[in-house]
Amino acid sequence: MKRILGLAQDCIRRAACGGALRCSLALAAVASTAAAQGKALDRDLTPPPGPTPKLHVPTWTRATLSNGAELVVTQKHDLPLVAFSIDFIGGSYSYELAAKLGVASFTAQMLSEGTTTRSADELSDAQQLLGTSIAAFVSGESGSIRFTALKSKFEPALALLADLLVNPIFPAPALERIRGRTLVTLAQQKDQPNAIATNVFARTVYGDAHPYGRVVTEQTVRAVTRDDVVAFHRAYYRPGRAVIAVTGDVDPRAVRAQVEKALAGWAAGGERPTFAYPAVPAPRARAIYLIDKPKAAQSVFEIGEPGPGRDTPDYYALEVMNNLLGGLFQSRLNHDIREVKGYSYGVGSSFAFGRGPGAFNASGGIVTAKSDSALIAFMTHFRGVQGSIPFTDDEITQGKESLIQSLPARFSSVNGIGNAVASIYTQALPETFYQDFAGKIAAVGRDDLVRVARKYIDLEHLNIVIVGDRATIEGPLRQTGIAPIVVLDADGKPVVVP
Amino acid sequence: MVVSRTVFVAYGLHLSTPPMISIRKSSPALFLLLTLATLPVNAQRAGGDAKSAASVRIPFERMTLANGLDVILSVDHTVPRVAVDVWYHVGSKNEVPGHTGFAHMFEHVMFTGSGHVPYGMHDRLTEGVGGDNNGSTTQDRTNYYENVPSNYLESALWLEADRMGFLLDKLDSAKFAAQRDIVQNERRQGTDNQPYGRAFEIMTAALYPESNPYSWPVVGYIAELQKATVNDVKDFFRLYYAPSNATLAIVGDFDAAQAKAWVARYFGGLKRGAAITRPTVTPPVVAAEKRLVFEDRVQVPRLYLEWPSTGIGTGDTYALRALGQILSGPRTARLTKALVYDRQSAASVNAFDNSAENAGVFIVFVTPRPDHSLAELEATTDSVIDRLKRDGPTPEEMAKTSAGLEFGFVSALQSNLGKAEILNRSLVFYRDAAHYQTDYERLRTVTASDVKRVANTYLGAGRVVLSVVPLGKPDQASKLASSVKVTVSPDGGHYIMESR
Repeated sequence: MKRILGLAQDCIRRAACGGALRCSLALAAVASTAAAQGKALDRDLTPPPGPTPKLHVPTWTRATLSNGAELVVTQKHDLPLVAFSIDFIGGSYSYELAAKLGVASFTAQMLSEGTTTRSADELSDAQQLLGTSIAAFVSGESGSIRFTALKSKFEPALALLADLLVNPIFPAPALERIRGRTLVTLAQQKDQPNAIATNVFARTVYGDAHPYGRVVTEQTVRAVTRDDVVAFHRAYYRPGRAVIAVTGDVDPRAVRAQVEKALAGWAAGGERPTFAYPAVPAPRARAIYLIDKPKAAQSVFEIGEPGPGRDTPDYYALEVMNNLLGGLFQSRLNHDIREVKGYSYGVGSSFAFGRGPGAFNASGGIVTAKSDSALIAFMTHFRGVQGSIPFTDDEITQGKESLIQSLPARFSSVNGIGNAVASIYTQALPETFYQDFAGKIAAVGRDDLVRVARKYIDLEHLNIVIVGDRATIEGPLRQTGIAPIVVLDADGKPVVVP
Repeated sequence: MVVSRTVFVAYGLHLSTPPMISIRKSSPALFLLLTLATLPVNAQRAGGDAKSAASVRIPFERMTLANGLDVILSVDHTVPRVAVDVWYHVGSKNEVPGHTGFAHMFEHVMFTGSGHVPYGMHDRLTEGVGGDNNGSTTQDRTNYYENVPSNYLESALWLEADRMGFLLDKLDSAKFAAQRDIVQNERRQGTDNQPYGRAFEIMTAALYPESNPYSWPVVGYIAELQKATVNDVKDFFRLYYAPSNATLAIVGDFDAAQAKAWVARYFGGLKRGAAITRPTVTPPVVAAEKRLVFEDRVQVPRLYLEWPSTGIGTGDTYALRALGQILSGPRTARLTKALVYDRQSAASVNAFDNSAENAGVFIVFVTPRPDHSLAELEATTDSVIDRLKRDGPTPEEMAKTSAGLEFGFVSALQSNLGKAEILNRSLVFYRDAAHYQTDYERLRTVTASDVKRVANTYLGAGRVVLSVVPLGKPDQASKLASSVKVTVSPDGGHYIMESR
């Protein structure tokens, strides 16, 4: 009886915020509970949910090390594991020269090419024997060096990581090897329609002047010297912009001393970047940018434009709206273009939410013969979320609940927790972000969804990038009348039409 | 092979693993998980501490319903979520030649609603409440899972029971045709539109005779997918989707007594299925080397080598895994060191064993750097393997292959679904849900002489050597004169390997 009452209250609470299906589920609950008390099973009754589990956000301690790095420690003792990461605020967008794109990645790779006391092979063997692997990478707005290991291997693995970080020797022959392998990868990307679409989209939307529009090329890769790598290491890997996260089966009293000791040779210094980017190019009229891939079985679509940064007050409304447009499997785009029309194996949409104007992007692989119909469907759904197809109560409930109730999944592994905690600091979020999340999502209203869809999906200036079989798709795409067609090559340069 | 409801992007770009899996929706994370579970422990191994750790343990309870459904329950209250994972012991090997891709297409149909579950409700009660779902198909088995907040366990069980018992009640040809289109799109995205996307299919077709149930790709051939009918679905369902051919693992935050009551309530009334005749998969014998060349839309050629190895039933699968780790991966692995670091003739190299339930293959593939031919890479690869066959691995190499085992296992314990997959795999393939401990022990105790022996036993002269070369540049193949050209049949139904 208590359960029935609880569910009935749940029904009322959810109905108040518009959850029609939830309400019907809760009512079904009453019937189902009755059935469980002895009546025959009626499979038509959807079993009701139990009481919503209480959210347990991990708690962490925070300290500033003597070299200026932030240290956050989160305990999790159910398994003998420790995740260790040093995340750097800012990445290649802030610290790479346009002519030397690739130097950040080269430097990260070269950390494991030898230190003042260990050869590259010795570093590799030591990691293998510890059953761990130290990963280093730099992306656009952050960088990281990290490992996860058994608790019993934490201290020796930490000592190895510190050696890579502080004492690398960057042997010149290793740079040439890495450069050679990178050139092969770049050549292979020219055969890969998804990679072509991603690169052309970035260049088309942001242009050469904005870091978001820059793409690593053979030319920039060839321009990187060993001196560049040494200089990048010296400038970038600094404790002043580092957030160190230690997560797992550690003794919180000992861990600070362990980290201080391991990183004793890492000199203080380093500023946090301002993320002051140049302005994005003035929006251009909507156009289809077509890259020919003769006889392609699919057309790869990337449609979008610059979006808001992560600090937008519309973040929560956009998350819910995007979930309904193209985030969920049952989102409008995927449901219609994949499930109903059968044009694709999957389409979706996202907002990148960078420290700058990260892109809105809707994408997917479309069977060649239906490229025109799919484009019409994309446009229909962009207009739909802007008001022409009203959101149902159940859509909105689903869009919110899927975000709110999936939060605990982020806290199931030491890596997940470490990332969740570190991102508070690397993305400059409030420390109560996770506790506040459900309330902020719940507060998003129907009008907010339509408002942000109109504000951030600018239909008149969409960049529609399509990589596919031009001979088959160009005519039908033109016939849709959606936008003029500009033919580009795989580097995003205009092709002179014969 | 694994293929799935949603995409997985992983193999198009990276090709570090063959397309042995098909998935309902795109999910690189799922792909990694499936790869992990297929190989019960992580790819990192290594030695050191000699004894098996106490941490290599997943507490569980097992029960069997009267209709034959095997149920495994493993409680873990760490996070308020629960995984429901159903395995059916059916995969592409249960298909018949000419009707390939059916088991996987069926997996898609399983998400379109059932007798008491309208279309859309499955996603509504999983993803729509903060959970997720997917399914995947291999040569040997098909799985379906839901990860949900723990208060949605009962509805997840209701969903799985309904499609196990009542799928056909609501199935019509329109629903079926829609999923058939989607699967064709999956194939286009994962295979036909990907550089090198056909390489593994070609090697498999060359290695196994056409009648062998492991000879066709899990995702199937386009022409045959188009032929599939709704009646095929019905026959397939009745035979293979019975509780007596299924296992159900529930892992996570729940009350065991309550879960058992729900399982009995929703699954108890379903009918046991007819006896199933399992297909006979004869391990292939390749008497002599088969050399092939395939022209693809690529700028960089690539060399593939594939040998028949063994199924998981023989004990050699453990040493073959160690052999893969000794050959490629870290910079001190033998092929990686020789090709990528010392000679710098290759941009990358991968070597691994892929053992399925009844047979397996050992695969090496190498991507050259400019000015290095596939013939040169083949010669280097062969000389490295020959040296290993002659001298065996060093004690240090053996120590490295086993040192990461415990970490790999303990890491997997952080995922409810990861544990469910380990338990289901153990139960379905070994009839013992705790068999993963045996796997672990046997991996840990592989010796240098075991590795030397399996290298000599399996990496012999009988193999397939495939050069994938740019269109119009067959001369980039290794030993073109003795290679047979491969083309795709006009209907996309199979590969033609012409003799000269």
